[in-house]
Amino acid sequence: MDILTRQHQRQHSAKLAFALAVGVASLSLSTFSPSARADDRPISFVNEVLPVLTKSGCNIGVCHAKAGNGQNGFQLSLLGYEPDEDIDHLTLESRGRRLSPGSPESSLLLLKATGRVPHGGGKRLDPESADHALLVEWIRQGAKSDVGTAPKLTAFEVQPSRGTVPLGGQQQLKAVAKYADGLERDVTSWAVFESNDTAMAEVAGAGLVKTLDVSGKVSVMVRFQDRITVFSAAVPLGAPVESLPPVSNFIDDHLFANLKQLGIPPSPVCDDATFLRRVTLDIAGRLPTDAEATAFIASSEPDKRAKVVDELLRSPDYADFFAGKWSALLKNRRDDASDMLSNFAFHAWVRDSMLANTPYDQFVRQLLAATGTVIGNPPVAWYKRVKEPKEQLEDVAQLFLGVRMQCAQCHHHPFERWSQEDYYALSAFFSQVGRKPSGTRGEDLIFHKRGVASAKHMKTGAAVLPGALGDKLPAIAADEDPRLKLADWMRSPTNPFFARSLVNRYWKHFFHRGLIEPEDDIRDSNPPTNPELLAALERHFIESGYNLKELIRVITTSTAYQLSSTPNNYNAGDRQNYSRYYPRRMQAEVLLDAIDAISGSRTDFANLPQGTRAVALPDNSYNNSTAFLRVFGRPEGASVCECERVQSSSLAQSLHLINAADIKGKLAFAGGRAERLAKDTRPVEDRIRELYLVAFSRLPREDELQTAVAFVNELPLDAEGKPLDAARGQAENYQDLLWALINTKEFLFNH
Amino acid sequence: MAKFPLSTARPVASARRVAARLGLAVALVAIQTAPLWAQSVCLPAPRLLTTTPMGGQAGTQVEIVITGEHLDGAAELLFSDPHLKATPKLDDSGKPVPNRYLIDIAADCPVGVYESRLMTRLGLSSSRVFSVGMLPEVTRQSPNNTLETAMPLEVNSICNAIQAPRSVDHYAFNAVKGQRIVVDVATRTIDSKLDVVLVVADARGRDLFVDRRGGLLDFTVPEDGRYIIKVHDLTFKGGETHFYRLSLREFSAGSPVVRQPGTRRVNSFSWPPEGLPALAASAEVEPNDDVAAVQKITLPCDLTGSFFPAADVDLFQFDAKAGEEWWVEVASERFGLPTDPAVLIQQVTRTGDVETVTDLVEFSDVPSPVKVSSNGYAYDGPFYDVGTADPLGKLTIKADGTYRLRLADLFGGTREDARNVYRLVIRKAQPDFALVAWPLHMELRNGDRNALSKPISLRGGATVALEVIAFRRDGFDGEINLALEGLPEGMSAAGVKIPAGQSRGMVLVSAAENAPRSFGTATFVGRATIGDAAVTRSCRLASVAWPIPDSWGEIPYTRLTADVPVSVGGIDRAPFTLTPKTPLIEAVAGQTIKVPFVHARRTDFSGATMNLRPIGPGFERVAPFDVTLTADGSEATVDLAALKTAPGDYLLAFYGSAVAKYRHQPEQVMAAEEAQKLAQADLDKLTAEVAQADAAVQSAAPADKAAAMQAAADLATKRKAAEAALAALMTRLKQATDAAQPRDIVDIIVSEPVQIRVKPVESK
Repeated sequence: MDILTRQHQRQHSAKLAFALAVGVASLSLSTFSPSARADDRPISFVNEVLPVLTKSGCNIGVCHAKAGNGQNGFQLSLLGYEPDEDIDHLTLESRGRRLSPGSPESSLLLLKATGRVPHGGGKRLDPESADHALLVEWIRQGAKSDVGTAPKLTAFEVQPSRGTVPLGGQQQLKAVAKYADGLERDVTSWAVFESNDTAMAEVAGAGLVKTLDVSGKVSVMVRFQDRITVFSAAVPLGAPVESLPPVSNFIDDHLFANLKQLGIPPSPVCDDATFLRRVTLDIAGRLPTDAEATAFIASSEPDKRAKVVDELLRSPDYADFFAGKWSALLKNRRDDASDMLSNFAFHAWVRDSMLANTPYDQFVRQLLAATGTVIGNPPVAWYKRVKEPKEQLEDVAQLFLGVRMQCAQCHHHPFERWSQEDYYALSAFFSQVGRKPSGTRGEDLIFHKRGVASAKHMKTGAAVLPGALGDKLPAIAADEDPRLKLADWMRSPTNPFFARSLVNRYWKHFFHRGLIEPEDDIRDSNPPTNPELLAALERHFIESGYNLKELIRVITTSTAYQLSSTPNNYNAGDRQNYSRYYPRRMQAEVLLDAIDAISGSRTDFANLPQGTRAVALPDNSYNNSTAFLRVFGRPEGASVCECERVQSSSLAQSLHLINAADIKGKLAFAGGRAERLAKDTRPVEDRIRELYLVAFSRLPREDELQTAVAFVNELPLDAEGKPLDAARGQAENYQDLLWALINTKEFLFNH
Repeated sequence: MAKFPLSTARPVASARRVAARLGLAVALVAIQTAPLWAQSVCLPAPRLLTTTPMGGQAGTQVEIVITGEHLDGAAELLFSDPHLKATPKLDDSGKPVPNRYLIDIAADCPVGVYESRLMTRLGLSSSRVFSVGMLPEVTRQSPNNTLETAMPLEVNSICNAIQAPRSVDHYAFNAVKGQRIVVDVATRTIDSKLDVVLVVADARGRDLFVDRRGGLLDFTVPEDGRYIIKVHDLTFKGGETHFYRLSLREFSAGSPVVRQPGTRRVNSFSWPPEGLPALAASAEVEPNDDVAAVQKITLPCDLTGSFFPAADVDLFQFDAKAGEEWWVEVASERFGLPTDPAVLIQQVTRTGDVETVTDLVEFSDVPSPVKVSSNGYAYDGPFYDVGTADPLGKLTIKADGTYRLRLADLFGGTREDARNVYRLVIRKAQPDFALVAWPLHMELRNGDRNALSKPISLRGGATVALEVIAFRRDGFDGEINLALEGLPEGMSAAGVKIPAGQSRGMVLVSAAENAPRSFGTATFVGRATIGDAAVTRSCRLASVAWPIPDSWGEIPYTRLTADVPVSVGGIDRAPFTLTPKTPLIEAVAGQTIKVPFVHARRTDFSGATMNLRPIGPGFERVAPFDVTLTADGSEATVDLAALKTAPGDYLLAFYGSAVAKYRHQPEQVMAAEEAQKLAQADLDKLTAEVAQADAAVQSAAPADKAAAMQAAADLATKRKAAEAALAALMTRLKQATDAAQPRDIVDIIVSEPVQIRVKPVESK
């Protein structure tokens, strides 16, 4: 007898035993408590019991839906997505000991859930609650399964779906489920409510939303069975918005409209120096030179801000900076010395694409459908690092579509509409990626392997044909590379993800917060804070022919981007409506380059020419050799998530800037700025002005100038208390002054 | 043997430019130092590694500086073409300047790449490409790795340069708006290791156009002004192995770009088929991407096309009759292009208006018939990949009807490059073969990853093996007899045939123990009978471009050579020679025979024995056996019954490896000893004379005293000089003795072949 047959027999006898027990129990119940329940309507396992288990948290990932064997041998499907499995687990497994039809209240399931016997998950259910009574009644009725026959859930909605809730106010939500048999049921008590920003709103108990003291847009995801819906609330500040800065383009229209609605007055437009520094850091990843700053401040051209944006976009600095961003996201990481050639080639391909302003859809297409050798066609290197179709689809979905599909590999996505079918349909696009060995170990030639694309569904074993996130595509012939079809689908103007994901990602680059956060988690249950603005950006991007430079141009020439970072009386607390510029510490590479620029030093990187900027580094290997980059959070290229870049502050960072040997070395760099300024014959004031222009792109204020001049002119004392000789003393003074400037927030932050 | 491409005009180089080249040359001489002793695998072989500049303009004289390894006793510099002649550069006193030669390039020398080689005490060196062009040439002299130091270039000129590590070379030129400028950098195809990145930037150095896939930028000048060309390696590697020739040319709009000439990859030996016209009879007509636009052709067919635009599909339709057999061959990858062509042939049947398409056959890569090196832990196959991504296959028609051929580039999904061309030939069977060969290597020590260029330069008494691979075409299955002919005096070769149905054979080249110094170009052929015709085909020789001690860290780059140079150094002797006692052994089928060898050992060895394995078709299963290295002879046993050897003539040899205590230039020690003896005698003689002279001074009459003293003083001076000369010779002797200290070097040892004649069992 094979094992399957044995299992089947055992289950069968368990079923029989259970049926007998039920009979006995029914007899006893009908004998001793005939009126236990007035309503004899049979309890639905699918539509009532499972929602109770889900609401009680029994079947979440860390509890009984834990992959493998659940908890303590009791396994449930995640959030009840597989009712047929759950009914077996509940009624048959462990010889049916989990339910006691003879004494429903004594069922192990309920004893554990109510905490009457020790339960690792604690008390999940109140024995006095209606939910408990419902489970008791279901067991009493014989714990019947209605899997396959239960009326299907046809619609699920929250009422209201939008609204305005004042600061510190509240809103009761009602969750309504509609079934195929026409039944409409208030499932508020069974639905799960989750706020997307608990600093703005919390959900207490059954659907009661309470706003806190932060204004803006907040949403509450409401989940019931495999359905998701969202309540979106505006939480206005309600301050008077009397005047708005001038509108430069459509971005301002939408952004200011939102501020008006919320009653958040924006900060004014920043000054020229601030703008030049900000936009140069954001586009080219470097500080403006003192010459650039001087010229820009002096210029009276009305369109000088737009001109500088064009100039920056034309420069290879832009290509270098954005290539660094994309290379890390595309996992250009060095795990072996032999990765060097492919990493350099791949990074260079990204960089050249940015330089040539290859349309974004073409860029993605070349990557997705890459074939050939790494040297002949560098995007092939992506297939060297991302080897399995599983990773390929997950990375592509997250990076280019902003959709996280990982969950759907094993079960229906809990916050999304994606099923396992969707997962494998997406995977199927990568099923015909052929590989041949090349002369370099670990590096394959990639080609399109002829054949009809399909992927094997992990659960059903069925061959799933290519399909793109719910969109059915025409059949793909054996001769056609399915990846090209995926690229075609992506670039379609009606694609709801592709353009949105990119514009949101770039928006975040410039505004430091995505319209959707996190930027690569676009889903119905995570709505944008300004949907109209996001839609307009998408439209603009698509109409421009997926022109990345144009997107940057429209963002950086908007008034919204040029607002001051200094808060007014109302908007200090604003973290998501862009009523002011949100300052951000310079990224690790940018900061290192900035320190080299101001100190007139350089950082040497292995295998690269002297003078190579840190933003132009091809892969993560330099994080090992340059502690600075590691301390300031340069990503390792291990994932497609921008979150890998650490932007938070740490003690190590402060100590590094104050004390580290490499910083000291840079200040005292032979031929560096301190040495040069000390030998300079210009008046000290001019030298100080140069320093301020490089550090802050502005001239020093009078008080700053006086302080600095006094400092520089006062020669330091040696160990014996005598002043150092002028040459050495001056050099040290300039080093100290540089050090002080580097350690200011004005220097460290893009503001 | 076919030489490389064509040519035309050539102006004359100025003396100033020649002098300019000298500037760079000085720096290079310093680089060339003592022989590289790092590797203990394979006996030293002479290798010419660089010539600077790397080429010249036809009709000019170019002074070059060479570097290499094991070039002791360098004499003649030779070229694969008589249009190029080299003479040693002489100094003011008429003595040759080491490592410098003057190259006269004939005015009618065709544009192309040629092989240069140096004759040394170990024979002809491995070769280095020397390019000949029509444009004026310059050689970069001083570092130009910043915008400020950009070297000015004239449009329509060629610059020879060596890329320094971790640097970017800068050049500047002026151009006017609308001009079509082509910057073409030759690297891998002229034996350089540079994976070139080419950038054109504006006058401020801001990058405008970039190429990283082959060193070609073809662009229209956007506005009048100064432009900067930047050149660097993809991973910023550099050094004397990373040289390049940059040509800056103006082209008229629309005219095709002819790139700088270069060598060919090894797998191109199988293209074109013998007798194929240089140009195809017809061309594909776009659009032919789908059924609606299918291009009708008739068989046979020979056409050219292009995998353009991206994801291009070329669809051809033809009629054929049951019983027909057609051979389909595509060439594209063998043109050196980064393509992977694939052919699908379908049968089209029609019922009413309904068309049914049935897949008949797919043709894709032709794999190498022998396992190619995986560049892994140790040697596991030759470094030469003779396989190709180009398809070749037979189409058998089973029913009259209509057929469709679909041709696409499996690497072409996203690539927009009209230069990715192909040639499609559909023909009746024309059975034939093509041959390529290279010197044999084997794993010589644990983790041996050496990929060495091995010139066919023999030591006296040595036998070397060349591995020969046949590419069989259109069903040709017969045996191929190999021959290396036209060898210089003292050399001989035996071809171990490629048996019917197989693809691998060997040629063994031997030098007599006392073979004199000699060199020449051999003729390497394979002969077969195809149908009724006796056919002779040339065998191309392949080489790795650079000796690489670690193929794990650096993938060997291989190419075809222009000809087959062979030589004997005439000084060094092979450490060990196995000569069959009799050149011919006759036996009757089914017998067990003994094959005795005589040993000649000329050096000590590490280890007592050497394991020998057989070479020779029909004898692959002869059991390997050990020979004692110190013995005077050995004997192999061949069981013809077990091998089921049919009557006929066979060739059998054995090979193995042994660690010789190799001595470098021992003759230098002897020479130094000899010279030292003479100097000592000279000194002794002078010492005696000085003593005599001193005595003469003592005994001289006062009138003669001054003269005697003068004579004594003169002799003392001479003696001092003799002492110095002796001291110098002692130093030389020490150096020569040190150099000649025995070093353990493992190499392949191949026996001379023996002929085995198997006669049929006589019927009674």
